Amino acid sequence: MTESSDPARAAGPAAFIRSPLDAAAGLFLICLAAVVLHQIRGLDAGSLRSFGPAMLPRGLAVILGASGIALVLMSVFRRDGSVLERWSIRGPFFILGSVLAFAFTIRVFGLAVAGPLAMVVGAYADPDARLKETLIFSVVLTAVCVVLFRYVLGLSIPILKMP
Amino acid sequence: MDSIISNLALGFSTALTFQNLALCFVGCLIGTLIGVLPGVGPIATIAMLLPITFGLDPTGALIMLAGIYYGAQYGGSTTAILVNIPGEATSVVTVLDGHEMAKQGRAGAALGIAAIGSFIAGTVSTLVIAALGLPLTKLAQLFGPAEYFSLMIMGLVFAMVLARGSLLRAFAMIVLGLVLSTIGTDLETGEERLTFGIERLSDGLEFVVLAMGVFGFAEIIRNLENPEARDVVRGSIGPLLPTREEFRQSAMPIARGTFLGALLGILPGNGAVLGPFASYSVEKKLAKDPRRFGRGAIEGVAGPEAANNAGAQTAFIPLLTLGIPPNAVMALMVGAMTIHGIIPGPQVMTKAPSLFWGMVASMWIGNLMLLIINLPMVGLWVRLLKVPYRLLFPAILLFCCIGIYSINSSETDVIFTAVFGLFGYALLKFGFEPAPLLLGFVLGKLMEEKLRQALILSRGSFMTFVERPVSLGLLVVAAVLIVVALLPAIRKSRDEVFTE
Amino acid sequence: MKILAKLAFAAAALVAGSAAAQTYPAKPITMIVPFAAGGPTDVVARIVTEHMSRTLGQQIVIENVGGAGGTTGTTRASQAGNDGYTIMMGHMGTHGAAPALYPNLKYDPSKDFEPVGLAAGTPILIVAKKAFPAQDLKGFVDYLKANGDKVNQAHAGVGSVSHSTGILLTSQVGTKTTQVPYTGTGPALNDLVSGQVDFMTDQIVNVAEQIRAGTIRAYAIATPSRSPALPDVPTTKEAGLPQYEVSAWNAIFAPKGTPAEVVTKLNDALVKALADEGTRKRLLDLGAVLPEKNEQTSAWLGDFVAKEVARWTPVLKAAK
Repeated sequence: MTESSDPARAAGPAAFIRSPLDAAAGLFLICLAAVVLHQIRGLDAGSLRSFGPAMLPRGLAVILGASGIALVLMSVFRRDGSVLERWSIRGPFFILGSVLAFAFTIRVFGLAVAGPLAMVVGAYADPDARLKETLIFSVVLTAVCVVLFRYVLGLSIPILKMP
Repeated sequence: MDSIISNLALGFSTALTFQNLALCFVGCLIGTLIGVLPGVGPIATIAMLLPITFGLDPTGALIMLAGIYYGAQYGGSTTAILVNIPGEATSVVTVLDGHEMAKQGRAGAALGIAAIGSFIAGTVSTLVIAALGLPLTKLAQLFGPAEYFSLMIMGLVFAMVLARGSLLRAFAMIVLGLVLSTIGTDLETGEERLTFGIERLSDGLEFVVLAMGVFGFAEIIRNLENPEARDVVRGSIGPLLPTREEFRQSAMPIARGTFLGALLGILPGNGAVLGPFASYSVEKKLAKDPRRFGRGAIEGVAGPEAANNAGAQTAFIPLLTLGIPPNAVMALMVGAMTIHGIIPGPQVMTKAPSLFWGMVASMWIGNLMLLIINLPMVGLWVRLLKVPYRLLFPAILLFCCIGIYSINSSETDVIFTAVFGLFGYALLKFGFEPAPLLLGFVLGKLMEEKLRQALILSRGSFMTFVERPVSLGLLVVAAVLIVVALLPAIRKSRDEVFTE
Repeated sequence: MKILAKLAFAAAALVAGSAAAQTYPAKPITMIVPFAAGGPTDVVARIVTEHMSRTLGQQIVIENVGGAGGTTGTTRASQAGNDGYTIMMGHMGTHGAAPALYPNLKYDPSKDFEPVGLAAGTPILIVAKKAFPAQDLKGFVDYLKANGDKVNQAHAGVGSVSHSTGILLTSQVGTKTTQVPYTGTGPALNDLVSGQVDFMTDQIVNVAEQIRAGTIRAYAIATPSRSPALPDVPTTKEAGLPQYEVSAWNAIFAPKGTPAEVVTKLNDALVKALADEGTRKRLLDLGAVLPEKNEQTSAWLGDFVAKEVARWTPVLKAAK
């Protein structure tokens, strides 16, 4: 089972939830299941003898939601609760920003722009990012990638485009 | 027996010409390279290299392309171990203990045992192909949709066993993986499901997109959270090769992994993906202390890696003996053969024996070359981990982005990877493991297809799964496995009850 | 004044356009193949463009953009720049069957493309498992009529060639079989060889070797004349189903508005490739059917596409 932590810490504001981690995880699954059920609401499930397109996703979403409910129930009854860890904002923000920056520039400007941009944005996910160092490194690495992907492997990646 | 020797002699005489040796080497080298680069898979590369092979004779061209294919399997393990990114479904398992070993400064041992295990598996499966290729094909023909479905059920049970922690959580992740696998166009009606109106999703999610998001990016975000733990290897990096003790521990897992991988690889429905999962589950069940698994157990690298390579090798059997490609890479090999005027089919073996046996022989030569290429590289790879993380992670990001983009020249895929990175981070925060999710995803696609085919063929009768003996046998094995998996948990909770 | 300015602008644009067309191609050309590498369309594209690149003096780079029965790549090609540096290899599915199969299709096969020329078609064969209880096509048709949905018909997924041509066959025979969908030709063929399913229709490249090896049986080939690759297989006309004539054709298209000079240059290069002995042989070895001289023009392809869309739409819509 999940690593148990100090039971005293588990007694949060909602004291009857012994394991906030399980409760949150369960709610997360229930939400996912709800999204799935909502998305496929217009599709035909068919019958057990002849499946329709919605049969499996719907059945699976129900099982997923049930697992979520089970986790929530467990969070109330188990003795060894775990707390929910803190979520960081900086890491996800810059890492995903970096990937998205790459996605939105690769076909417009090409790798020569998208590569360094992605690396510089990504580097700020680390609080002690150094701009100059990252910039130089990113340009060098992008050049390496151009040679590697375009010329050694021959993949069709745009290198430099002027919109 | 004589015929095997004379056939192999013919094969080696074909494969050992200077040109074919050189092509095999180039193929292995390129394969290792693309395997190491996250995202860039053998499919994109082989497609790009097809025109280059126009000038070659068919045997040479296929030897090179085959080299790329199994070279990529070797290279993929390297990335899985070093940076926690599985490039293909088959290296998901390698991540579990391989990356754990790397964190403990045992990257050298993990990479070494992966290469050696793969080589041994490659050698054995080359012999299997040579000796039993044809009869095994007939065996695989017993597998219809019902049998595949039962096989997939067995695979899902493996996924339960894979779990490190709570069975309920592992189960939920498998189900979530299955849900994700239903995204896309419905097989029968062509209706779109769960695509959120996004056109790119109409063919379903790409495995690499999901894997790179939930494993790779999520891992980077988590590493950045705790600055002390983020440099992959702190302190000494340990010996570059496995110790004698580690070899001893790995011997039997390699043997069992080879057997499982080779057997599953023959199935023409891409059974090879099950090999590493099956091997991992078996090793975990056989281990004296299963808790070591997921915390850097070398058996958890040795067995699955052997299974992976054995399966990659025997996956050629349906292609070479039946002319039917079991997976996307093999379908590409069909294209390559067709472009060279050799249409794969049941008669390739008799009509073009030097091509057939030359390829078989070159597989073994290629494996030897890969061992020679990879072992000296271990030192280099391990030193790579010494690069400060603040430089390493942006570089990984860039390679991942380029790799994902190159699969379909699609920036939408890159965006999806970002989304799944966030999703994977959330899963980690909620205490879920990504491995069962990925296995559920991989098996889900095949499972729904086979389930519905089986039910269409049986006109809606579920009895088809127990009426067919092979299918019934697989279901029984799955049932036994699940009891074995659940027993310790049940016993444990009873213990807990008693201690209260 | 305004009209004058407009005219001057148009003239300038024309001059600039034709100047660009004269130097065309000045850089590599991208050809989008809307299917995965290694498939029949991809193979045809690669063989044809290899010779075309030599004629044009610039490499034609193939970019495989697979997905949604080829419509993803085709949509992308229809939205690409019309300077002649992006062209595509279209196909019976993308430029014939797609409008009927995909209600939200983002392109019109006739209106959004400049036809360049027909490259090669791959004949369709009616194949069945070895143990199928019919001696010839007549017996096969009778069996279908008598047994209807007791017969299992495989296809490689909605939108695939085997799906469309299979529906065409059953609608012409006037029966409804049980359709078993697969994800691709490989798995479908595998189950046909092992006898899990009864029959399917598919392209010659995929099934020729299995027929030669006797692992499956062929009832007819849906072309006007027999294929040199399988001389023993009768045509549908000979075997008594003359209306079933269909081939998975592949043709080159350019996005709408590509200058006529560029289209002509591309067509010339294609015609030269189709006249080249080496290229012909490689295509014929695959069992492909090459277009006659009069079928190689851009105009012919334009008419052909319109006819194909008109032919597939009612058949496929009726089957939905």
